[in-house]
Amino acid sequence: MNKVDVQRYISSGIIESYVVGLVSATEAREVENAMAEFPEIKAAVEACRQDMERYVQLHSIPPPKGIRKRLLEVIENEDSLEGEALLPEELREPEPDEAPAGPGFSWPAISPERMLQFALALAIVLLGISLFLNFRYASRYKIYKQKYDELVTVHQQATADNQLIQAKLQQAQGELTLLKNPAFTWTRLNGSGKHAGQFITVCWNPASHEAFVLAQGLPEPAAGQQYQLWALVNGKAVDAGVFETGQLSSSPQKVKAIAAAQMFMVTLEKKGGNDTPSWNQVFLSGRISS
Amino acid sequence: MRPSLTYTEAELVQGLKARDEKVFSYLYDHYSPALYGVALKIVNDENMAIDALQEIFLKIWRSAERYDADKGRLFTWMLNIARNTAIDMLRSRAHKLDQKIRELGDGTVFLEKLTVQQSIDHLGLSKVLDQLNKEQRVIIDLAYYRGCTQDEIAKLLDIPLGTVKTRMRNAIIQLRNILKQV
Repeated sequence: MNKVDVQRYISSGIIESYVVGLVSATEAREVENAMAEFPEIKAAVEACRQDMERYVQLHSIPPPKGIRKRLLEVIENEDSLEGEALLPEELREPEPDEAPAGPGFSWPAISPERMLQFALALAIVLLGISLFLNFRYASRYKIYKQKYDELVTVHQQATADNQLIQAKLQQAQGELTLLKNPAFTWTRLNGSGKHAGQFITVCWNPASHEAFVLAQGLPEPAAGQQYQLWALVNGKAVDAGVFETGQLSSSPQKVKAIAAAQMFMVTLEKKGGNDTPSWNQVFLSGRISS
Repeated sequence: MRPSLTYTEAELVQGLKARDEKVFSYLYDHYSPALYGVALKIVNDENMAIDALQEIFLKIWRSAERYDADKGRLFTWMLNIARNTAIDMLRSRAHKLDQKIRELGDGTVFLEKLTVQQSIDHLGLSKVLDQLNKEQRVIIDLAYYRGCTQDEIAKLLDIPLGTVKTRMRNAIIQLRNILKQV
């Protein structure tokens, strides 16, 4: 800047604007740099300031009396907590983290406001914990409920299985008792000719007339057909009932009571059996050993 | 209103930096009317101005180390603190007040309470204010007491942005001429 430039700068209005606080921070730095470099500019700024300050001082009003005393109290006690408390909030030192260690133990002074803040913060924290636990226990409850339901189902299944097994056991025990009873006679009926190798066993109590069939060795009949047992007494065939083969043949099947017999015979009949045997369909026969 | 100095400026600065309470009392006695006048004119509310004045003096007391004599006189520095403190306070409270008014509803009109206070040199003041024309008075007050930006002043006075600085210069030159006669 030469002399002319300096004059132009002074008369541009930037100085007055700077003094009344109208310029931006960048412009203010510019003016301050110019002041440092050019005494004329510094003098112009100073003159303008004095004008403004005289104008401002015309607005002087004595402040209310008590303020001076209060301010002096604050600055006299400014290193103590009491002095700090007198300050407007904006000017207080940040509160120390811990209460100063005094002789013995003493509670740090807590204002009611602070207390409320603590209480509120605590309440919020507790609410948060409660919500968290609610959520946790709710999901745990769900898991346990599910596990409980599963266990109930398993238990029911086990009970049902147990009942089935009990029933089977009773049946097996019944069969065992039957087979151990010396009153029963055992007769094996064998096939001959095209039925060679086929067989069943008939178990008969001549005293009680009870009769059972163990149909282990017969082929599965065609649909609509069933094997029928006959008791032969003096060459006459008496119906002793139909019986099943296949899966049901593994345990003794009760057939009709037989009052008397010298021989047994098995024929293949229509399902449900016939009143008289089909003599061309005789599969097996066996004499009762006495 | 130039106070008769018993301290030189350098002594005042030194005393303030050394936390001399006598210097503080002296500064308060000599400058509190000027600083209170600034605060009151800015915030236009006595209670707020009292709060502002206390804050201003405590800032002066506590930030004395930041005063740099190369940048200006002590009084200039103190006035800047006063002005900035009061404008900040006004802005933060105006913001809160604004919210309150909005809460009350649109029907409420906020009327600025006018503080009637007699300045110490009210004859001098009215003489100056009489001789400044309205635009000159307004442009100085908007910038100094309201903290308006150039943009805001250009809009408020409905003048081009580029002429704000020259208008400001003319207003202050006029002020200078009037002050010579007072």
